[in-house]
Amino acid sequence: MNCEECRSKISPFLDNELEPTLADGVRRHLAICPECAAVFEDLAAIFEACRTEGEDLLAPPNSPALWRRISNVIESEVRPVPPAEPETPSRRFWRFSLPQLATGFALIAVVSSLLTIVGIRAYSRPEASASPLRSSAEETTMEKVLGKLGLITTPQQARERHFAEQQKAIEYWNARVAQRRSEWNERTREAFDRNMRVIDQSVVQYTNILKQDPEDDLSAEMLDSVLTDKMNLLRDFSDL
Amino acid sequence: MSFCSTISVRFHSALKIAAVAVLLAALSVPTFAQKKFSRTYPAPSNVRLQLMNKSGTVTVEGWDRAEVQIVASLEAPAANIAPQNLSGTIVINLVRDNQDRRDVGNVNFIVRVPYTTMVDIETRMGNLNVSNVRGGLVRARISTEGDITLTNIGASAVSAENVTGDIFYDGDIVAGGTYRFASTRGAINLRIPFNSSFRVVATAPTTRNISLGVFGGGAINYIGDGRRVVGKFGDGSATLSVTNQQGSISFFRR
Repeated sequence: MNCEECRSKISPFLDNELEPTLADGVRRHLAICPECAAVFEDLAAIFEACRTEGEDLLAPPNSPALWRRISNVIESEVRPVPPAEPETPSRRFWRFSLPQLATGFALIAVVSSLLTIVGIRAYSRPEASASPLRSSAEETTMEKVLGKLGLITTPQQARERHFAEQQKAIEYWNARVAQRRSEWNERTREAFDRNMRVIDQSVVQYTNILKQDPEDDLSAEMLDSVLTDKMNLLRDFSDL
Repeated sequence: MSFCSTISVRFHSALKIAAVAVLLAALSVPTFAQKKFSRTYPAPSNVRLQLMNKSGTVTVEGWDRAEVQIVASLEAPAANIAPQNLSGTIVINLVRDNQDRRDVGNVNFIVRVPYTTMVDIETRMGNLNVSNVRGGLVRARISTEGDITLTNIGASAVSAENVTGDIFYDGDIVAGGTYRFASTRGAINLRIPFNSSFRVVATAPTTRNISLGVFGGGAINYIGDGRRVVGKFGDGSATLSVTNQQGSISFFRR
């Protein structure tokens, strides 16, 4: 099976709609082709997101409530509306006191300024804000404040999310390796275990450093690097 | 007389035992027998070699002929080898060709290629050697353990990566080129010309053992308590990235 064929079958494969022989072919191709495996992972993640988060969107409308609203609208159009007492504009305006109005305007100004700043920053620096391993030192005071308020994702939060995603991918490849492992000879098993231990040693080392100093960007970068190495090692051995 | 006959009997017994031993040794030879594989392809100067081995040593040497010669010695149980010549790319993939085989012996390759070949070799375990190549690319990757030796290289894009084992690079730093060396545990030694122009980011977080040698006189910054060295030499047009998680990094003058 080539890449084009495989990619066209990923979607039915995820839905378990393929015949066993075809599904087997897709599985075998995914094991040897990292590009298609990446496409598969992306699609699988999207499917999973749709399954978990799309339920609200796909929920059937509340039809009795909808009909009640429609009938209310029809009734209000049919029923004669009593003439409303004319209200002078000055009277409506003076329902708010002057300080209340001033406070309201000031609040609107502050909120809109904040939103403008956040928008401009996000627009002018898309690469930096997109990088999951952005340095904490690059964070501005405004970003720190907004981060504490929970309005934006802090570099540390982005980093933790990135590591969590890497761990998920590692778990996926680990499961694949566990299936294949019994097929390896002793020499292959020993080499794999030996090198996995070497990588894990570095993973533990950087994880411990980051626990003590979460702002150590170099250790975060190295942890990202060794987790990628671990993923590559698992991927390489998942097709042996 | 009886003493002589006793000696004679013992001598004959010893002879028989030796004969049996020789016979057994002869019978056991096929277990270690090596099969040979050899094939030659005509090749344009910009040919690309893409080789993925499972285990064994791969040696790629540049030569002044317009052909690619593949010689492999296969240890028992012998692996399947099915090279393909795909419009200017010679592809050998032992992982794919032996997918469902439980046990496959080492395969040791010697591949001779035109000097200007782009070399992309990979193995799950074993050593990788590349020499006398000045094509656009040299990429050598070992999934687990083995040494990578790249000598007399003139490529503008070089990448060498392993988990356990040494990496040795002896070659040019081409202006505007990209060079990446990464290991988890081993020694990375780079031998490059003194007049090279490059920007370097060398990181050895565990050992902090980064020796720039004669290149120590450039504009250098030590970052993260000496875990990383960032430097610029000459006009800094090439990029060098060297990372060794648990080992040392050393630069030498070529």
